[in-house]
Amino acid sequence: MASINTPAVVMDNGTGMTKLGFAGNDAPSWVFPTAIATRASGSSAKPSAPAKPSFLNTPNVAGSSGSTGGSFGTSPSPALSSIKRDMADLDFYIGDEALEAAKGPGYSLHYPVRHGQIDNWDQMERFWETSIFKYLKCEPEDHYFLLTEPPLNPPENRENTAEIMFESFNCAGLYIAVQAVLALAASWTSSKVTDRTLTGTVIDSGDGVTHVIPVAEGYVIGSAIKNIPLAGRDITSFIQTMLRERGEADSSLKTAEEIKQKFCYVCPDIVKEFAKYDNNSEMFAKYIIDTVSGRKITVDVGYERFLAPEIFFNPEIASSDFLTPLPEIVDGVIQASPIDVRKNLYKNIVLSGGSTMFKDFGRRLQRDLKGIVNERVSRSERLSGAKSSGVQVQVISHKRQKNAVWFGGSLLAQTSEFKSYCHTKQDYEEYGPNIVRNFSLFNVPR
Amino acid sequence: MPAYHSTFLAEDSNSRNVGNLAILPIKTKFKGPSLPSMSEYDIIDEVLDLFRANTFFKNFEIKGPADRTLIYGILYVSQCLNQLNLTTPRQEAVRILTNLSLDNFAIPGEIGFPLNSLYQPPRDKNEAIFLRQYLAQFRQELASRLIGTLYGGDPSKPSKYWLAFSRKKFMNKSL
Repeated sequence: MASINTPAVVMDNGTGMTKLGFAGNDAPSWVFPTAIATRASGSSAKPSAPAKPSFLNTPNVAGSSGSTGGSFGTSPSPALSSIKRDMADLDFYIGDEALEAAKGPGYSLHYPVRHGQIDNWDQMERFWETSIFKYLKCEPEDHYFLLTEPPLNPPENRENTAEIMFESFNCAGLYIAVQAVLALAASWTSSKVTDRTLTGTVIDSGDGVTHVIPVAEGYVIGSAIKNIPLAGRDITSFIQTMLRERGEADSSLKTAEEIKQKFCYVCPDIVKEFAKYDNNSEMFAKYIIDTVSGRKITVDVGYERFLAPEIFFNPEIASSDFLTPLPEIVDGVIQASPIDVRKNLYKNIVLSGGSTMFKDFGRRLQRDLKGIVNERVSRSERLSGAKSSGVQVQVISHKRQKNAVWFGGSLLAQTSEFKSYCHTKQDYEEYGPNIVRNFSLFNVPR
Repeated sequence: MPAYHSTFLAEDSNSRNVGNLAILPIKTKFKGPSLPSMSEYDIIDEVLDLFRANTFFKNFEIKGPADRTLIYGILYVSQCLNQLNLTTPRQEAVRILTNLSLDNFAIPGEIGFPLNSLYQPPRDKNEAIFLRQYLAQFRQELASRLIGTLYGGDPSKPSKYWLAFSRKKFMNKSL
């Protein structure tokens, strides 16, 4: 078959962003919002609703049965999309184009992935269709696919995914990996990692939420996972508030976002950092915006440089209902895991996602967590009188943090044994959708 | 890491208290009952150092009398900043803040003092007079050093980075 030598396709559909690319690459070829804009009046957004004739597709209603299984070769899978298809079904945009289209009239914007899980399968199918044919421009019959899923994804969702992948797209083979496990694999590129294990604690912080996920030998310890309602979006709005309080010339969300990415860092101690700014006015930065009219707007950047990422370590400064610092949460997660893996979880704390990219984020986390752990160790030594062998705390930062999940997928899918772990189209046809309930884990290469 | 505490807590045992507020020595030329500070770093420096960090916090656990002095100082800085705006020149600021420091202000135990649940009133009238004099001196010195910080670079307008903190309310309280 032709699929023997083609690289696998790696797709990571997150709540906010979709990362698309081919295995073996260093970075995803496309990163765009997981958004789809459909005709607002069309019925396709709500599969349960009866088809409403709109001014656009009225002439098509009578002949709509004829348009099923159009030129794309994506005949709707019988179970998932029994709704009739008409021209409106082909009138949609995804990614950045969707955001653009939704600004105008006639289109409404949808996010088919909610809280990491696929929420609307009909939209997701069309999203994938465009991803494959318009962005990746590949023949799915010739490629194996690696998709990602959040921890604790119900097996039914895997079945639905397989149904679309095999029946709509005819893809050659499929592997669905847990995001946290891929993030662990991505950390193997760091020089700090000596043995390539799939045991560790993953801190995944994107735009909406931050997850702390313990993984033991490739299996997620579901009962110990914790979510933190603070992530990139909160940091941005914190910066925005500070800019507004100071009355800066521009305090739009975009400016705040840019300042976050260009200027923010994590400091060891806020009081000392304030003193640094007092003694050295060069710490204050300037962000210059070029407007369309050619005018330049200068925005002064001050204490938000270190205060914004500080909300992970001192949530109190930004939120009034969530007060537990990230290091304490991580400690709690590891303490809630089985006792025999705890030492390894402390030893391999891996960062993933854009909001962990701040300079010295890992170092601060490691220091604070070490403090908590050492205190517990010395207390137990005092109470028991026995000497502890000590607990090693190590936070791994690496260069691929931003798209760690995708990169981990790219690493695993380029190995020669990858295809043997996939379920193929033949397997699917022989055994049915429930074969995808289980995927064997990758053997850890030594 | 919660809000920062006063480093003068360690000296609590040999400091004088009125109610449960520590009367800490300050380096000052203003008249008043405070003892001259022996060390380089006094409570006023500390208030100005911790002000920006602590105003972000709504919860604060009081660990001793020196923390109460710190709280009072931080809340007073907030009050001062609220009197100024981005165009107030230095001379004007000196006048406003001197008036504010000496104006009628409430001391712990009096109606109108916002932190009476946390501060004990003075024991008798003499202590009350002493406390009022100390706080007046404290406020003047704090205001004068605050102006020094605000107008460090430019005497025509205060630092906008500092004024941005005027909207923050430490412990959700204000004087």
